[in-house]
Amino acid sequence: MFISKLHLPRRTVLRGLGATIALPLLDAMVPAMTALAQTAAKPARRLGVFYVPNGMAMRYWQPPSEGALADVPPTLKSLAPFKDQLLLMGGLYDEAANLVKGGGDHARSAGTFLTCVPFKFTYGADVFAATTMDQLAAKEFSKQTQLGSLELALDSNAILGSCDGGSSCAYTNTISWSNPTTPLPMENDPRAVFERLFGTSGSTDAAARLSRIKQDRSILDFITEELARLDNRVGTKDKQKLTEYLDSIRDIERRIQKAEEQNSRELPVVDQPMGIPTDYATHAKLMMDLLALAYQTDLTRVATFMLAKEVSSRAYPEIGVSDSHHPLSHHQNEVAKLERLHKINEYHMQQFAHLVDKLKKIPEGDGSMLDNSVFLYGTGISDSNTHFHDDLPIAIVGGKAAGIHGGRYVRYKQGTPLANLHVTLLDKLGIGVDKLGDSNGRLENLSV
Amino acid sequence: MAAVQPPSSFAQSGAAGRAAAAAPAAPDRGLLNQYCLGCHNAKLKTAGFSLDGVDLNQPAAHAEILERVITKLRTGQMPPGGRPRPDRATALAFVRALETSLDAVGKQVADPGRVPIHRLNRVEYVNAIRDLFDLEIDGASMLPSDTPGLGFDNNADVLSVTPGLMARYLTAATKISRLAVGDTAIRPVSQVYRVAEFARQDSRMSDDLPFGTRGGLSARHTFPLDGEYSFKLKLQRNQVGNTIRGMDHEHTIEVRVDRSLVKKFTIGGQAKGSDLGILIAIPEDEVEQQRMHTYRLIADRDLEFRAVMKAGTQAVSAAFVDDAGIYEGVPIRSRSLKSSSFTDDASDPGIDTIEIAGPYNGTAPVDSPSRKKIFICKPTNATEDVCARRILGTLTRRAYRRPVTDVDIAPLFRIYRTGRAEGGFDTGMQRALEAMLASPSFLFQLERDPARAKPGSSYRLSDLELASRLSFFLWASIPDDELLDVASKGLLKQPAMLERQVKRMLADPKATRMMNAFIGQWLIIRNVMTADPDPNLFPDYDDTLRDALLEETELFFESQVRANASLLDLLRADYTFMNARLAEHYGVPNIYGSHFRRVPVTDPNRYGLLGHASVLLVTSYAHRTSVVGRGKWMLENMLGAPPPSPPPNVPPLKENDGKSAPKSLRERMEQHRANAVCATCHTRIDPMGFPLENFDPTGRWRKDDEGAPIDPVSTLNDGSKLDGPVALRQYLLDNRDEYVRTVVEKLFTYALGRGPEFYDAPTVRQLVRDAEAADYRWTAVILSLIKSAPFQMRRVGDSPVLAPAAASQANQ
Repeated sequence: MFISKLHLPRRTVLRGLGATIALPLLDAMVPAMTALAQTAAKPARRLGVFYVPNGMAMRYWQPPSEGALADVPPTLKSLAPFKDQLLLMGGLYDEAANLVKGGGDHARSAGTFLTCVPFKFTYGADVFAATTMDQLAAKEFSKQTQLGSLELALDSNAILGSCDGGSSCAYTNTISWSNPTTPLPMENDPRAVFERLFGTSGSTDAAARLSRIKQDRSILDFITEELARLDNRVGTKDKQKLTEYLDSIRDIERRIQKAEEQNSRELPVVDQPMGIPTDYATHAKLMMDLLALAYQTDLTRVATFMLAKEVSSRAYPEIGVSDSHHPLSHHQNEVAKLERLHKINEYHMQQFAHLVDKLKKIPEGDGSMLDNSVFLYGTGISDSNTHFHDDLPIAIVGGKAAGIHGGRYVRYKQGTPLANLHVTLLDKLGIGVDKLGDSNGRLENLSV
Repeated sequence: MAAVQPPSSFAQSGAAGRAAAAAPAAPDRGLLNQYCLGCHNAKLKTAGFSLDGVDLNQPAAHAEILERVITKLRTGQMPPGGRPRPDRATALAFVRALETSLDAVGKQVADPGRVPIHRLNRVEYVNAIRDLFDLEIDGASMLPSDTPGLGFDNNADVLSVTPGLMARYLTAATKISRLAVGDTAIRPVSQVYRVAEFARQDSRMSDDLPFGTRGGLSARHTFPLDGEYSFKLKLQRNQVGNTIRGMDHEHTIEVRVDRSLVKKFTIGGQAKGSDLGILIAIPEDEVEQQRMHTYRLIADRDLEFRAVMKAGTQAVSAAFVDDAGIYEGVPIRSRSLKSSSFTDDASDPGIDTIEIAGPYNGTAPVDSPSRKKIFICKPTNATEDVCARRILGTLTRRAYRRPVTDVDIAPLFRIYRTGRAEGGFDTGMQRALEAMLASPSFLFQLERDPARAKPGSSYRLSDLELASRLSFFLWASIPDDELLDVASKGLLKQPAMLERQVKRMLADPKATRMMNAFIGQWLIIRNVMTADPDPNLFPDYDDTLRDALLEETELFFESQVRANASLLDLLRADYTFMNARLAEHYGVPNIYGSHFRRVPVTDPNRYGLLGHASVLLVTSYAHRTSVVGRGKWMLENMLGAPPPSPPPNVPPLKENDGKSAPKSLRERMEQHRANAVCATCHTRIDPMGFPLENFDPTGRWRKDDEGAPIDPVSTLNDGSKLDGPVALRQYLLDNRDEYVRTVVEKLFTYALGRGPEFYDAPTVRQLVRDAEAADYRWTAVILSLIKSAPFQMRRVGDSPVLAPAAASQANQ
């Protein structure tokens, strides 16, 4: 039997067609007898969602016209080297933010950004939202990774108490919920993140990790021997407990096995950070480095990252902006204030660009890790002065291997649900969900 | 197999078995036929419960069902309201006769029950580490909290092991062993201690801070090595503008370690006036405003210094020098949950965090407390192995709570040797201790059945197993050397020695752990820490008060147990403990400072536990009191007669809408109770809650509720009335058997890590009788519980000796 291994990359087909027409994946584009996962349109391997608060100085963000990006807009300047992997979107609307009964607009933005479901307004512990899009991905990917997801932030991770307009801080300080009643606190301490990734090895140095693995093994062996010495003079319930214990030990053994297999990978040597750096940029860079490591070691494939919590009033004197962010965001369209707000927006973007740059440089398959990652960068408020939740500033970065075609600015019909983006991104990750929040369809045009 | 001779006060006739000998005269079945059988028959099986075929002449065969009958009749839960009832005296006579015949069964059929293998919970683990190594660890950051079972977090059935949990225990073992030994490979870490956001910082915060200071915090920090450490302070910021509070004036901050001054800072006073930058971006040309705003953003940037510290746990504190020229404790201006979250109303600054980072240039500690505990010999080349074995032998004996042999030591010694070869003696020791802390012999309370023991038989615990039960009960930790010595010699089973040890342990400061754990969980007042009164209605409620509420009840309970008072005094004592913050809450004058002291209570409404704001708070909602919540709490925790759960789909009470005339809570509840189904239980629940209505949700006295006057009078099923806290307390004292039995059952649950089962009922009744004979004194109650069969013995096999009720009847 003759099996042709020749196939057409999907993009070559589409290039000759109108940019607005989406085509189904044609059989001819899939090579014969090859799993879909190895073709040009294979699902992305990992997801990252990056959230910034207090809306955006929109005039610095929005490109002048739709279509191919001639220049990268000022806010996104740090992504210029990756322009062909940058897809800007306009017209998306987070209507759920308008439907929350009570609370401030900031809580409504972060609290609905990845659910597109109005949450229950409360300052108490009886919070109620919905499972977020990243967690849908985490549930799927966690079958293959040690950690389902990482939730990272650069502010205090408290989710108790009352924040914006009397809303629970759970709605402003995290964008990730594993189920409607469980907001996931975002970790801001790099040391804690390091320990979650690499245990108590103290360093990503291969020798240090190997030494830790050896010690862990000797302790597990010891425990197993000790258990064997306990004779049978225990009851059924007791045996159950000891079995639970032994099963747990076995499970840890399997994890160590995995870690051992990964230990051969070349990793940049990073020592366990001691805590939270004082300086914002140092802190952000460290967290981005750790996230890159987590992706690189395949410890997790899903992350959410808040560059600042919603309604943040952090000031950035280091870039010449000593105004508190939130008051500044109510700029009343004064140019000087808008410029300073833009500086903050740009500064946040630079932190993200550091990660993009890293992943771009790490080869994976035929391309880079960036090609196999889908990043969503944005916020739930557009113009900060008005607090509106429509025409949101949204950027998709990466995803080339999954067929996402960058270098463009795409505008959707005004009022298109933000949730349509979420379900489309989940499609790109190979996770089909029928609906999320108020989604009413898929976004077209991601792949030209 | 013959049962082992049970403890003295529980003497049972030797022949254990199912065949009951001649029982005392059986009670007359007529009462059951007349009042119960109409619903609980084989056909209807109301609530899955039938009394058909229950032979009162064969109590052993029906013990579980009959114990349920006893509970329901004695507490008046059955027959339900509206049904014919026997008069109280008749019902009680029947109950007593039934109890007598079941007690006789209990004497013939030994069943001390069985506590499954018990994993050390987080509290016990942290305490054990402290007792083993003289090392304080931050348990909350190392291990997850434990799910409670039957209201207590030491319930053996619930303390399970999962892979995630086990991974945390292993990581904890690594960290603790490094800390304890003082591993020089420890990397610098930073740890942040935070002042509760809504704590008042206008007076001295705690007894750990020096006089003449206000605000701040004191944290017990463990310095892992001798070396340099950096200390960094951050001040509280205004939520809206992120600026530092209270920078108008100059303030002095003192940092102390174990009370001696290590650093002084002055801050503030460099820019005065109102800061526009909180709310708006400051116009370009307002240079002075720009300067002021910037100053308020960064003024605390330089509150940082380094100091050389010795390894070990020390109290690090930071506080403002109280230069207000007024005596401690007078609030300058109170802050509240609500107001501080939005505007900068506090005229004074507050400490937000202390961050301690290090060690830098750390060296191995020579004489840290934990090293003194571990390195009991000095290794020389010739004696190194001997010394290692000696250290391991000593520590393992304490950790495993029993004499150890070479079988225990050899595997640890092998791990030590590997580490010794890689990094020296200390490294070897650290690795071995890490393994020891992961061993099942440390992590589990293991009790092992005698060889060839038959299921259904029971045996007396070994002295060593008993020692562990004692220490986990009374100290929430491992035994000390004295207790282990006595147990190893087999002396603990002697009643006089047992009594001596129990009294010694109760007198030890470590017993406070048991007292706090028990009172906090029995009364559910630990929930104070998560209760959130509505800040709009209770703007004065803050974190400082929250801590004080819990502390009041803990101190009161401890004083009662340590003074060997009567269980009844918990209800009627005319004293309590207060500091200034709490006194302000209660409206008691002339109490200053953060220090708690014993205070006489003059208002009879406040006598005893029922007047404690902690109890009144945790039984309320955020915005109003809950008569049902309080009534249910009374029935569950004071009278041992918990009501069943409400049926599904009950609409909540209508809230006042602010439009029509406000209805009192009572009126609203009476609307709700008009439903006959609801009334069945609520005629029991509500009367126990109404008498406390003069206490608001935070436990303050009040005369009206949203404008409607309080009516605290309730009518019991028998027509008698309770008209307030005094009458409610008297009701409990009049029904002391129920109250004492409830306390005994709760104490039983905590002491054993399992709840009383039907076969324990005779024991519980005996304990109640013993308590009465001893004037209800705490020491006697605790001692007789410890001497009881369930504490001293163990059944072989998981099934009760007497057949429990048929499965079809089990789901009552």
